[in-house]
Amino acid sequence: MTLDELIERCKEQDAHAQGELYKRYNRILFAICLRYSPNFTEAEDNLQDAFITIFKKVGQFKGKGSFEGWIKRVTVNTVLQKYRKQKVYNIVEEGQIEDTEDEVEVQEDIPLKFLLKIVQELPTQYRLVFSMYVLDGYPHKEIAKMLDIKEGTSKSNLARARGILRERIEKYRDELENN
Amino acid sequence: MKNKKDIDKIFQEGFENLDLSPSPQVWENIQAEIKKESDRKVIPLWLRLGGVAALIAVLLSVGNWVFDPFSSNQPAITQESVEQSVEQIDQEAEGTIDESQKIDKSQIVSVTASENENAEQDETEKIDDVQKATSTFTEEHTQVAKSSSNKKDTQTSPKREEQVIPTINEGVVKETTEEKHEVPAASDDVHQQEFNRHKKAIAEVQNEQEGKEDAAEKAEKDNVDDRPSIMDAIAAQEGIASVDDIKDNKPENRWSVSPNLAPVYYNSFGSGSSIDSDLDFNPQKGDVNMSYGVHVSYAFNDRLSVRTGVNNVDLSYSTSDIVIATGPVSRGLEGVDYGGKNVVVTAVSRESLTAGTPNGEFDGLNLKSSAGNARLIQSINYYEVPVELQYALIDKRIGVNLIGGVSTLFLGDDEISVRSDNFSDVLGSANNLSTISFSTNVGVGLNYKLSKRFLFNIEPTFKYQLNPYSDSSIGFKPYYLGIYSGLSFKF
Repeated sequence: MTLDELIERCKEQDAHAQGELYKRYNRILFAICLRYSPNFTEAEDNLQDAFITIFKKVGQFKGKGSFEGWIKRVTVNTVLQKYRKQKVYNIVEEGQIEDTEDEVEVQEDIPLKFLLKIVQELPTQYRLVFSMYVLDGYPHKEIAKMLDIKEGTSKSNLARARGILRERIEKYRDELENN
Repeated sequence: MKNKKDIDKIFQEGFENLDLSPSPQVWENIQAEIKKESDRKVIPLWLRLGGVAALIAVLLSVGNWVFDPFSSNQPAITQESVEQSVEQIDQEAEGTIDESQKIDKSQIVSVTASENENAEQDETEKIDDVQKATSTFTEEHTQVAKSSSNKKDTQTSPKREEQVIPTINEGVVKETTEEKHEVPAASDDVHQQEFNRHKKAIAEVQNEQEGKEDAAEKAEKDNVDDRPSIMDAIAAQEGIASVDDIKDNKPENRWSVSPNLAPVYYNSFGSGSSIDSDLDFNPQKGDVNMSYGVHVSYAFNDRLSVRTGVNNVDLSYSTSDIVIATGPVSRGLEGVDYGGKNVVVTAVSRESLTAGTPNGEFDGLNLKSSAGNARLIQSINYYEVPVELQYALIDKRIGVNLIGGVSTLFLGDDEISVRSDNFSDVLGSANNLSTISFSTNVGVGLNYKLSKRFLFNIEPTFKYQLNPYSDSSIGFKPYYLGIYSGLSFKF
């Protein structure tokens, strides 16, 4: 089945096509969910919600732009909708933390499992901003709109997130050296 | 060798290789949810079709009336059109009218007395009729309210008689109405029959012959002067007090259409929670929401009319004094369908929490709110099809009616959610709400006649739900009170 055929059949609620779509895209979208969710189990729940939304709204995809881009966006929106409601009150003040690029010294590649773990363990809003900016390339303006926060807050959240991650990687590196 | 990489790059490169699969359960849950959604769409579709069918039937009958008016001075024409209609009806696929009816109709039509004579008769019988009508109404009302086998009899009794004398038996009008409006009986066992018949009826409605059938019935009505004898016989069969009680109908303005809007207050009589037994003693508060819809009514005489229609009703209530938490689905609320998720939002009564956890019931829960003001909200949406009788106590410029009847409620969307100062989320839908339930309705209607054809109504009506939950052990006994207001247009 070509992608176009697949999309058309999904619009008609064809069960076989829906299964095929899931098969083709579940890992890509699961990767997104893993980066936005606090743990594996919630990532699965969010993937579930994302696909249900995709199947419900596939009729709205008019062929403008790539389909993969569209379903990724639906996934991000679905996850954001869930965590955005958890209003985390930020004590960080805007403008005080600069958007610097943090550097770390690494001796070897850090295991993926560890990277995922420390991202998931970030406070909710830091995790969302970090994933959206660094991993999915959303600009601060758009992040602010989607999370219903100020642009300055988005920037300071990102800086905070980077700071925490840097500390944790350095700690990991130190422990490695000492062993 | 030390590599300096900026932290962004570490994650960007690291996550390029992120290729994990979710468990197979995820796909199963997705499929189940999609199936549930598509199943739910089916019921409201029937009602939409029913509403459209009702509208078409009403428009056709109006059209026929306008273009083919009946009067007592033209019995010959009327007779012809009736016989014509009879033939057309016979051609209908369903065969709802059999051969014997043809014979019956021609007998009735051959009656000689004219409309005018009937009218004169009415004047003199007026006083008696009012008194008798009252007793008839009370009886019929009781019958309706009980939703007993009387109704069942009404619907399964020979159709030919019912079709012939629509004025006598409210069940008959309901029958006719049903074929167009898809109003199911208030008893479960007739339900299935009704639905099957309605499926066919809907297909028929597209056929213009339906409109002609209406015309035929009106013709019969207008010309039946032999009524007393036949009516008595049927009345005896149907168990109605006295046929003479029902006055002759005026041939005009029997139908009316009323779009209406109502604020609706929802609450319950019993104690207990429908969501979780842990919350049985928590305070609950009903909310006020909106109901909107349209009623179609048919007047038997100046006093008594029957009506049906479709309403969309939103109901909700909140449970307070709770603490919101997230945790594994095994700690979730009993009455919530979480859609297969593993980590869910749940609510615990504050009392249970402060009372301590001797058995570790609250282990594994991550409390989300403790700032007070946390509420658990259940929202339910129903499509309601009422069948009610309306009896006019006062019928002047300002009128007062008594209203009584039953409604069939079809479950639409429902949702259970939590809300607090800093957290809100939808948990899922209820797993114990009946898809089809009923209510008994009692109300008082006030109306103001803006003109001969337009009325403004306000009708506070109390509706007690009979079997809203599929779990009969739930002590939550809901009711709702609505102030139905709108305009009626008579034709």
